[in-house]
Amino acid sequence: MSSRIPIVPENTEPLPRLRENEGMLSWVASVDHKQIGIMYLICCMVFFLIGGLEALLIRIQLAQPEFGFLSPEVYNQMFTMHGTTMIFFVVMPFLIGVGVYLVPLMIGARDMAFPRLNALSFWLFVFGGILIYYSFLTQSGAPDVGWFAYSPLSEKPFSLNKGPTYWALGLLATGIGSVASGLNNVVTILTMRTPGMTMRRLPLFVWMILVTSFLLIFVIPIITSAFAMMLLDRLLGATFFTPAHGGSAILWQHFFWGFGHPEVYILILPAFGIISEVIPVFSRKPIYGYEFVAGSTVAIGLLSLGVWVHHMFAVGLGDVTNLYFSFASMLIAIPTGVKVLNWVATMWGGKIIFATPMLFATAFIIEFVIGGLTGVAIASVPIDWVVTDSYFIVAHFHYALFGGSLFAIFAGVYYWFPKFTGRMMSETLGKWHFWLTVIGFNLTFFIQHFLGMMGMPRRTYTYHDFPYWGSMNLISTIGAIVLAVSVLVFVWNILQSLKRGEKAGGNPWNAWTLEWATTSPPAVHNFDLVPPVRGRRPLWDLAHPDMPDEPDAKVV
Amino acid sequence: MNILEFLTSTWTFEPWVLITAFLLLITYGAASGFRFTRKTALLTAGTALMVIAVVSPLDYLGRNYLFSAHMIQHILLLLIVPLLLLLGLPESAARKALAVKPLGSIMGILGNPVIAWSLGVGSMWVWHMPSLHDAVLRNETLYIAQQISFVFIGAIFWWPVFAPVKERRLEPLRSTLYLASACLGCTVLGILITFAGAGLYAAYLSPVDSAGILPYLRNDLCLTPGVDQQIGGLTMWVPGCLIYLTASMITIAEWYGSADSGGLTSAGARSGSRESGQNLQPAER
Ligand code: HEM
Ligand SMILES: [Cu+2]
Repeated sequence: MSSRIPIVPENTEPLPRLRENEGMLSWVASVDHKQIGIMYLICCMVFFLIGGLEALLIRIQLAQPEFGFLSPEVYNQMFTMHGTTMIFFVVMPFLIGVGVYLVPLMIGARDMAFPRLNALSFWLFVFGGILIYYSFLTQSGAPDVGWFAYSPLSEKPFSLNKGPTYWALGLLATGIGSVASGLNNVVTILTMRTPGMTMRRLPLFVWMILVTSFLLIFVIPIITSAFAMMLLDRLLGATFFTPAHGGSAILWQHFFWGFGHPEVYILILPAFGIISEVIPVFSRKPIYGYEFVAGSTVAIGLLSLGVWVHHMFAVGLGDVTNLYFSFASMLIAIPTGVKVLNWVATMWGGKIIFATPMLFATAFIIEFVIGGLTGVAIASVPIDWVVTDSYFIVAHFHYALFGGSLFAIFAGVYYWFPKFTGRMMSETLGKWHFWLTVIGFNLTFFIQHFLGMMGMPRRTYTYHDFPYWGSMNLISTIGAIVLAVSVLVFVWNILQSLKRGEKAGGNPWNAWTLEWATTSPPAVHNFDLVPPVRGRRPLWDLAHPDMPDEPDAKVV
Repeated sequence: MNILEFLTSTWTFEPWVLITAFLLLITYGAASGFRFTRKTALLTAGTALMVIAVVSPLDYLGRNYLFSAHMIQHILLLLIVPLLLLLGLPESAARKALAVKPLGSIMGILGNPVIAWSLGVGSMWVWHMPSLHDAVLRNETLYIAQQISFVFIGAIFWWPVFAPVKERRLEPLRSTLYLASACLGCTVLGILITFAGAGLYAAYLSPVDSAGILPYLRNDLCLTPGVDQQIGGLTMWVPGCLIYLTASMITIAEWYGSADSGGLTSAGARSGSRESGQNLQPAER
């Protein structure tokens, strides 16, 4: 073992240093993982505001039956761009970005294994985002074929405008960046850990980033090649996905969901990681069943690769196929359920401190369980046939993605903001943000379960004045406005805290993982000294030498 | 023939199977002093499953009527039986056996993860080439060779993950990678078979109805050739992968259950020295 060849080449020339007086250039040219992480977060925030605005426009159009606020064409562009933005330019890069910032700190390393590749990933993401949004400026407007771009609708004969081409090109660019960050994470986590940080002592957030990174490496290429084929179809007259010329439209769906289902786990696993860091710290207890939380992540990652067909139950692949995939999809509930039990058990009997991060983490558990339960329900074929392509599905994945991933992201921002900036966020504004979000979110999406069951289809720009539909949709729109206010509170909180926030010090939450062992914000070289790692909670062991987590652990 | 008669009359008690199973159990009993342990249970279960897979109506169905039945038998013989047999081997006996010169080095070669993986996944792919599969159904010797190769190759495939001798096993995270990539291999093949459209294996399109149950299969159970082939492909794809998944969960559970001896950590120890000059030393206490 000891004679293994290092996978990571040594840096022969010193990495570019940032100097105070270089201003913006020190950011643009940076290869420092912390600066890149911060840039990810800022860009995600901008995209979040844009995507949120698009959502608001969609909801206003739906506030009344037969409303004429948006034209059908613009409506289609709005929901396409909203979905694409939220998934590819908000949640995914945010989680990658926090990962880039925190992983080296949490494992006691100086930087990522490949700092330049890290910068490349980030700039490809920015470039892809700009490319997609540039399509608004073209004559024919933004893509309008949905975030799934089903063929043949997205093919040339049906979409003559340039939108889908920009869409595929932009996502192709970000996709390459995502694979690169997946590789970067894997190599960093496997080779750069400080002595004593064994794989079994990895902070759970790092563990989840590791599994997510493997998913990135395996599944992004599926969609990247599908984008390439779609571009060939659109630009060079190939016919991969046009049935009229011998291609297959179903093939696109297989490619898309073969990527798309694992993708939702790419969006949720790091969120699980954030929750698994926040809950123990604010319950003042070590996580209950570390082994289960970590092991079940691997199970989720592997299972997620093989259940995409549940997005295609209505396609007509045959009863047997549907049955097998229905069964396999329901299996995911087991490892996921294990995790939820672990979080609850960690809180059980703990001295819970409901600071804002903990509030969001607690709400996460509740909202995510709702999203998970509706998920198991629609994994059953007959139920899916009834509600597919209805607002029930919209409610389901917003409980998973907003109530899940985004709540975890908020928890993470409040939790690590002191580390990122050296200042605390305002608790008062945080509580306002939290309650407005919870109320707005449930007001918007809970009622959509019922709208869906009453038959309201998704992805249509308006609806007839059926009994109750108008008022139920109005409630949903009011919820969206509350959410918009909550986002403004959040932004205000960030801006205020940056200027006037209380000074944080190295470890304001009394947490236990290595990122809290350094100054806030950390110096360029991250650590002056990395504390010895003899257990899963190095800072606990350091503070309580008389009762370490692993009393028998050898000093490394 | 009605289905009950079919299920009772198509057991083919091939002597060579029974004798092999008997010898296996006797040798094992003698070696372990006829004490009944968890390992004995695993080995007995493996042997029993092997016999059932080969002599029961499943075999008859798979050879004459249904691709899906063939696939279930295939999964049993390639993935489940050898796994149980391997887990049933006592460590001390295996150690002694491996100390014997040629055997130890042969297993050293075959148990190499790359070779074992290629054999395991390769046997899925090769035996399912339509022309070869048709040949197997027509030729008795080839058929027997296939069945035997399943069990042996299965054992080789599982070796890097569950070798009875611990030091020949892969580290748990590596074996997860080993199994996940094998699952990918089966998935691709499963996808091909599932979505290929009926008639990939011509023999199952219009079987000679030697037992008179074809109307029952086709009309009562609705097992048309298309559905049959889909079930076959899906069986390789979904339950097949679930077996790999369960196995990797077991290795991870064992890993967490054992003392922390490092696993993959030598890399971490190394990074410390690589990073020297960047202030990355453990603090003194
Ligand atoms: C217990 C686990 C889950 C199960 C069994 C499940 C099941 C499903 C099913 C069957 C559909 C397809 C419905 C249809 O279109 O007819 C679906 C849609 C969706 N799910 Fe989930 N889901 C689960 C968790 C998640 C998670 C964790 C996320 C995201 C973080 C998520 C995000 C989505 C999205 C975005 C869609 C909509 C895709 C579209 O545009 O059609 N799901 N889910
Ligand atoms: Cu899915």
